[in-house]
Amino acid sequence: MNTQRRGRKVLAFAAATAIVLAACGSDDDGDSGETDTTTEGTGGTEGTDGTDGTDAPVDGADGGTLIWAHEQEPPDLHLDDPENNLSIVSWIRSPLIEGLYGVSGSTEYYPELLDGEAELVENEDGTVTANYTLRDGLVWSDGDDLTADDVKWTYDTIMAADGEDEDGNPAYIYLLGSRQGLDTITDFTVTSPTEFSVTWSEFFAGWKGVLNEIYPSHVFNEDPALAAAELNENLRDWTTPAGETIPSSGPMLFDSWEKGVQMNLVTNEGYHGSNSPDATNKGVPSIDGVQINFVTDTDAQINALRAGEAQIVMTQPQLEFEDLAASEDFTVSSSAGPVYEHWGLNVLNPHLSKPEVREALALAMNKAEVMEGLYTPLFGDSLPAEGLGNTYWLSNQSPYVDNAGNAGYGKGDVEAAAAALESAGYTLNGDGVYEHPEDGVLSLRVGTTGGNRLREIQQELIQAQMKAAGIDIVIDNVPGADYFGAQPFSEDALLCASSGGAEGNCDVWDIAQFAWVGGPWPGGNSPNFSTTIGESPYGYTSEEFDAKAIECDATIDDDARATCYNELDAYVTTLTVDPNGLFLLPITQKPSFYGYTSTLATAGVAPDAQGAGPLTNVGDFQFAG
Amino acid sequence: MFAYVTRRVLTTIPLMIIALYVVFIGVSLTNDPLGNFYLCLPRCQEGYDRIVEVYNLDVSIWVRPFYWFSDALTGDLGDSSALGLPVSEVILNRGKNTAILAIPAFLISATVALMLSVYSARRQYTVGDYFFTTLSFIGLAFPSFVLALVIQNIFGVQTEKWFGIKPFNTGRMSGDGFFPLLRDMALPLLTLTILSISADSRFGRASMLETLGQDYIRTARAKGLPERRVVWKHALRNSLIPLVTLWALTLSALLSGSIVTESIFSWPGLGPAFLQALGDTDLDLILGIVLFTGVLTVLFNLIADVMYGVLDPRIRLN
Repeated sequence: MNTQRRGRKVLAFAAATAIVLAACGSDDDGDSGETDTTTEGTGGTEGTDGTDGTDAPVDGADGGTLIWAHEQEPPDLHLDDPENNLSIVSWIRSPLIEGLYGVSGSTEYYPELLDGEAELVENEDGTVTANYTLRDGLVWSDGDDLTADDVKWTYDTIMAADGEDEDGNPAYIYLLGSRQGLDTITDFTVTSPTEFSVTWSEFFAGWKGVLNEIYPSHVFNEDPALAAAELNENLRDWTTPAGETIPSSGPMLFDSWEKGVQMNLVTNEGYHGSNSPDATNKGVPSIDGVQINFVTDTDAQINALRAGEAQIVMTQPQLEFEDLAASEDFTVSSSAGPVYEHWGLNVLNPHLSKPEVREALALAMNKAEVMEGLYTPLFGDSLPAEGLGNTYWLSNQSPYVDNAGNAGYGKGDVEAAAAALESAGYTLNGDGVYEHPEDGVLSLRVGTTGGNRLREIQQELIQAQMKAAGIDIVIDNVPGADYFGAQPFSEDALLCASSGGAEGNCDVWDIAQFAWVGGPWPGGNSPNFSTTIGESPYGYTSEEFDAKAIECDATIDDDARATCYNELDAYVTTLTVDPNGLFLLPITQKPSFYGYTSTLATAGVAPDAQGAGPLTNVGDFQFAG
Repeated sequence: MFAYVTRRVLTTIPLMIIALYVVFIGVSLTNDPLGNFYLCLPRCQEGYDRIVEVYNLDVSIWVRPFYWFSDALTGDLGDSSALGLPVSEVILNRGKNTAILAIPAFLISATVALMLSVYSARRQYTVGDYFFTTLSFIGLAFPSFVLALVIQNIFGVQTEKWFGIKPFNTGRMSGDGFFPLLRDMALPLLTLTILSISADSRFGRASMLETLGQDYIRTARAKGLPERRVVWKHALRNSLIPLVTLWALTLSALLSGSIVTESIFSWPGLGPAFLQALGDTDLDLILGIVLFTGVLTVLFNLIADVMYGVLDPRIRLN
């Protein structure tokens, strides 16, 4: 009887295994392992036959609903509410509402509603005026003209205030996290339906980023204060006070939203056309609409793609997508994203206060190995193999200079790292770790937002690199978003940083690993790097840096300003300008994973930036014939 | 009985308050709503100040829960920042969607599990018994997320490749009408019932076996009663008592939302809502769902207690 029972158990196990194997067996495609990647610098896509995705479609057909599977559903569509600043909201809004400037695949501004670049004029009193001209023929989806009055009304509404708050600041009505660049506007004059001028009290280097979304004044209250309250309410479900859908200035029109399930957009048949440098079809999209399915689980997204229930995904890089990328039924079109990982150094730590130690870390780090370990197999050459070497410009932006790389950093030069440490008085102890006669063993904690597996892998890779250089790295993570308030941005740590170590607690953290976000205007980074012009946790203080930052932000010429930011970056990432600099080690940009199925003949370029996303060039999506 | 029920409810209230307080403090200590704002200060000071105001972050963490309690007493559970709706509305709508899956899953799994229990107990150590036992163990061995993905892959993706037909979607509650809804709920329903049947049938079999071994069952057989009557009239009722406990917990758990199954099948129920609330540190929604779950658990346990008295006259509630 025991033999019988054992035999039956074996049969049962075999049956179970067969079921599992049958379910897990998927593609019988050849594993070429090739993924299509973006062309360098432009963020353009490539078709499965290797041609540029911006070529005119050969086998495309008009019509069809594009289904985008996305894991994150926004709580509402009021992007500017500080409680809701999710990227998905800006990505959904990008084909609905256009602004004066848009963001291209190379993370640079281009005139969208404007007829060419605005003209900047330096006035004698130190103010700066921008003279704008809108394109002819701009029209809302309901047929009303989009004019300069809409632009001014949008500005007035955003800046409408109801008295002052307890600190004497204007009590703004419209919910917005930051009015930087708007609050220094002293004059806004409309001279014709397509011409207007804006004057700032002083030049604001991020001026192209203001008014990046223009609202339709004709469906809201004329009074900006009342309109601001209306927008706070009505933007959430994208309706007008009259209960209608807010008219679009973009290629899509909001249709419906079944919360928890899907959101539907339909094509704006009256679209006035796009100025995007990444688009081939700048006119009315050929698809009928877009359906955004909220699919929270990554594996479920993959199943939805395989089952033909979705055509595109744009998400954080996931290990699960490797198999999909190898499939012939799927095209990976990755690009360099705006987010970059770095190691930030607490220069008030006894070891890290020495420039030689900071330089040793920079020299010992091997960014190519990190890239190889994390991204290269899946994302090919969409990111530079040598990693990122600048904290102001991203690798896909035209002004980018690899300052850190040019200084010899990030190449795993263990010998040079050792030489730097020894020049500072460190010697190797019996454990193979460098030790200072006064400051002790060179052991440094690196912390990050625990639970992020990619970030933890990065830590482990660099930890091993540092060990080879005689630097002991201890991983000290804190779960989730609580990391920032617990370590680098804790009250004690910030007090230490701002007081130069005289107050607070300088021992809260040593090395911080997290991400900064780049963008078309990098000047917003400067306050992050200086304790005097911002709330910087790194403890770096330099009058020269502060003066340079102000100088860069005041430089009106775009090319000169770009060069200035590169010079500023040299303070942050090297010792070439400031022998007490080098407190940030940029590691790598995070790639943006964007993929689509072969049911599409062509797909649009999907800039990974706030205010952009996969629907920015929605006109280029077309189903295969 | 009224006194018993009243006593149970009154005892539960302070427990719920303590539980909610602990949850509030626990979530607040492990999540910082200002996390992303540190990176943009000082230019995002306005946004920073708004978050401080909305979440009462300028008040001691030990005092903040009482703001929520005072609102909850008036029926205001707050607004969900993750879903952009009042919490009560989220619980109502998402709870309805969860119930659409949970109630049929419970009814089917309870019925099938009961039948399997009786069959396996009456035919102990037969081929049939071994077969269903094996299936139960397979169902128990599968983690729920693996089972859900396997079912999703087989029936949502592979059937079209193998047979050219696509009877089911991989997920989403998109059906407009009865039959489309049936089509959408088929796979998550299958997942939930398999998981429940696997556990319930083992429990039921053991209970039925114990009951069938009782002296009064032997007496009933000796008196010449038909076997069917012995099992279904006399043994079943007594073997149901432990099952009722299990079913009370199962149903309250199902109605609270299956995080894994609903997430994988993108079913807009309480499970994914709770998951999103945790990820976005939506404290109001977390507390609202915890409260709802607590009430459900208490309610169904009370129902189970009452059912004991119905099933077994020896058990009476004073």
